[in-house]
Amino acid sequence: MTTPPIERAESTVDAKLLEILVCPLTKGQLEFDAARQELISRQAKLAYPIRDGIPIMLPEEARKID
Amino acid sequence: MVRRDEAFEMKTMDQPGETTHFGFRDVPVGDKQTLVNDVFHSVARRYDLMNDLMSGGMHRVWKDVMINALNPPRSDAPFALLDVAGGTGDISFRAAKASGLGFSATVCDINTGMLDVGRERAITHHLEHQVSFVEGNAEELPFADKSYDAYTIAFGIRNVPRIDRALAEAYRVLKPGSRFLCLEFSTVDVPGLDKIYDLFSFKVIPPLGKAVTGDSESYQYLVESIRKFPKPPIFADMIREAGFSRVKYELLSGGIVALHSGWRL
Repeated sequence: MTTPPIERAESTVDAKLLEILVCPLTKGQLEFDAARQELISRQAKLAYPIRDGIPIMLPEEARKID
Repeated sequence: MVRRDEAFEMKTMDQPGETTHFGFRDVPVGDKQTLVNDVFHSVARRYDLMNDLMSGGMHRVWKDVMINALNPPRSDAPFALLDVAGGTGDISFRAAKASGLGFSATVCDINTGMLDVGRERAITHHLEHQVSFVEGNAEELPFADKSYDAYTIAFGIRNVPRIDRALAEAYRVLKPGSRFLCLEFSTVDVPGLDKIYDLFSFKVIPPLGKAVTGDSESYQYLVESIRKFPKPPIFADMIREAGFSRVKYELLSGGIVALHSGWRL
């Protein structure tokens, strides 16, 4: 018998919230990287971290990407 | 009452340009956010207790007046609230309790310490599925246009360096036909009460803040920032300039607090 993966409810972001989150700089769409727990803004070249389920939507806290 | 901070004055001289108020001091706009963050990090755990002590429990009454004005549906019709600067979740939890099953809230705050307290409390109140937490800046909201049915900000707009930007962002994220509500300290105009209020503000609150949170400077900032905030008619004009219609305000408790509102039509 296989057990389903344990849902980490406390550390995932609400699906409805993901739909309305945008990059605070460009107001453009974000890509959700579930493995890294990051929200990626291609236009701004920034990856916003999600810490303990709370998206940190501050450019100064984001990781720069190429 | 103006405190002088030499390091600050030097910094201000080094960077001529846009300045804003941090309490009674003028500081570069870019520095205000850092200073305000320090205030709230320092007091997050005991923020709501301090509110009770300072206001004699009146902050609960003021917040209830705002929730009544918000009047969220009691049905399961969807209703999405954005509560800005609402870190500890106080407004969102009150709104959730006054609402039906369709209610959801996003708490957006720039301060990690306040958000951590809020999320713990959401779990305690079993509201973690209705109330979400996002760290973000009121001047640069990370939400799509026309996403929310209401925007609330309670005792928060005073701490935003560029109030006009925050109001423009509030307008942007609200759906047409939805409401902006702002609770903020105002100006006491009742003769006699104004003297008592000043005495209490400057002689009682900072030492009380020190006793409860170990931090008197944060509460010195609080009482100074209240005096610096635009008077209600001026703030109402700023709300109109951001595009809101049917803008009005109501003074509560002799003008200690004002509830401002407007509609995005």
